[in-house]
Amino acid sequence: MKKTIKLMCLLLVFVMTITLFSGCGKSEETKTEGVLNFFNWTEYMPESVLTAFEKEYKIKVNYTTYSSNEEMLNKIKTGEKGMYDLTIASDYMVDTMRTTGLLEKFDNTVVTNIGNIDPQYTKMYFDETGEYAVPYMISNAILCYNKAKIPGGIKSINDIFDSKYKNSIVMLDDIRMVMGLSALSLGYSVNETDPAKVAKMKDKLVSLKPNIKLFDSDSPKTSMISGETSIGFMWCAEVALAMAENPDIVPVYPEEGISLMIDNFVIPAGAKNKKNAELFINFILRPEISKMVSAEYPYVNPNKAAYDILPDSYKNNPASNPPAEALKKGQLVKNLGDNAKLYDDVWTEFKNS
Amino acid sequence: MKLKQRFKKSLPKLVTVSPVSIWLLILIAIPLVYVLVISFASRSPSGGIEFAFTLENYGKLASADYLKIYGQSILIAFFTTVISIFISYPFAYHMANSSKTKRTILMLLVIVPFWTNSLIRLYGWKTILGTEGVLNNLLMDAHIIKEPLNMLFTTPAVVLGMCYTLLPFMILPLYASIEKLDRALLEAASDLGAKRIHSFFHVTLPLTSPGIFAGSIMVFIPALGYFFVSDLLGGGNTMLIGNLIKNQFNTSQNWPLGAALSIVLIIVTLILVKIYTKVGGKIDDLGVA
Repeated sequence: MKKTIKLMCLLLVFVMTITLFSGCGKSEETKTEGVLNFFNWTEYMPESVLTAFEKEYKIKVNYTTYSSNEEMLNKIKTGEKGMYDLTIASDYMVDTMRTTGLLEKFDNTVVTNIGNIDPQYTKMYFDETGEYAVPYMISNAILCYNKAKIPGGIKSINDIFDSKYKNSIVMLDDIRMVMGLSALSLGYSVNETDPAKVAKMKDKLVSLKPNIKLFDSDSPKTSMISGETSIGFMWCAEVALAMAENPDIVPVYPEEGISLMIDNFVIPAGAKNKKNAELFINFILRPEISKMVSAEYPYVNPNKAAYDILPDSYKNNPASNPPAEALKKGQLVKNLGDNAKLYDDVWTEFKNS
Repeated sequence: MKLKQRFKKSLPKLVTVSPVSIWLLILIAIPLVYVLVISFASRSPSGGIEFAFTLENYGKLASADYLKIYGQSILIAFFTTVISIFISYPFAYHMANSSKTKRTILMLLVIVPFWTNSLIRLYGWKTILGTEGVLNNLLMDAHIIKEPLNMLFTTPAVVLGMCYTLLPFMILPLYASIEKLDRALLEAASDLGAKRIHSFFHVTLPLTSPGIFAGSIMVFIPALGYFFVSDLLGGGNTMLIGNLIKNQFNTSQNWPLGAALSIVLIIVTLILVKIYTKVGGKIDDLGVA
């Protein structure tokens, strides 16, 4: 035993020394006049855009990522105040953060390009005065299928409940999107809180369970591309990227409607480099920069000025550029307050069924 | 005067022990107390913590859904432990009876993979087990199967992943106890006419049982909480206690309930360790003290 422990200690020391020095490689710094601590979703901002910003403004961007709104909220709430200067929050999360005093207003005189944004996406319910949130991208969760495996195709949410699709669906591991899917299939609001109706949503979801092969929020496209699954319920950009890799994949805007999410730039309260954050927002709002983002992450771009210069490959792809009527049927996910517990119970039971 | 002397006497103790104590206090004791405190609080509508004493969280722990998850979790952890023992025992036995160089090489084979992040190694299993994965392609090319097997995103895949990540925790204590085994006892058994198989079951196995216990504790407990294994290889279909806790802190923003669940997991762990020491195991062998 003694020998083993000795050996293990030695190995441990070795590993620790290596990791200790691993951070030192990048100490060579270009001359910068400031920093921007940017906290963003994973797979949501091209590296090239960050470099372009660093070059033009001589501001160093410290980039960190998260994979859900709730994770971001946890870090902002529990972290040191002013740790982040800029982050991205979805509509309902903007609402939560604004009402709990976690956000700071942005300065209109710096963010002058705000006019490029389609006015239908500004001053929404979560920021009626348009002082806290600047729309970045709009994402919606849609269905898709592999036409080589499902020649007949699917048109609606209710189609995927067919028992012949046993063990073949990949689904976002996202409580609100999946609950929304069930609500839409029953014709309810995606923010339904009536216990009787929520119970029905649960039953419906449980009946879908045998068809679900896996839950994946980080990269659901992978299992669609590899053919592991033949039906997907995932973010529109993931569908667009999957289509680029596997031409058999077809996007579907279900007849029943979709859940929409508007992701916004917000400045956390106490940000130390607020001005830099505002400069960055303004930079992203430029049409040519916004175009760079859409080229890599084809979400729905609310930037009107950028839309005009986007290539046809973006405009003609229904996954990245949804038909107007589909957007009209879209419903925004809202903060449920105390009723969140109701959803959580359903989620636990459904996941475990 | 007396006080000064006393201080002088305890100074070396203070200097050597206090940094560790402060470290433990700040990083372990205080967070644990915090978890305990918020487990009696309630969730505010915006997902924050409201400090009003309630037992609601603990009441919820007994709901049928949660009981099912505990059961499933315990079952998976149990299978992981049993399979680990069957894989690790022959390996550790062989390692303990090898020459010094071979022993070092085998030890390195167990420890080196540890230097790579376990998440990355689990992703490796994904490419092996997938429908279009390495294993299925191999079996189909060899005409052993016609249709690809459905292996990834199933409960057995989770058990496999658990065994794979936790194997060293079983091998090391087993190796330690097999190595300590007094060879003279085996010789005596054989002198008295015991066949090798008998001496294994009547001498080797009972004497190395502390190693089996220690390894089981060290595999079983993490297996209850390794949520990322069930996320990656189970496709989120299998919920473990670990997933449940993670969900409460993350998606549901219900920290008090998550804290209550964590407290239960800690209590289960303590009970298991208590049982372990009761049956004669030494805390030292667990490598925790």
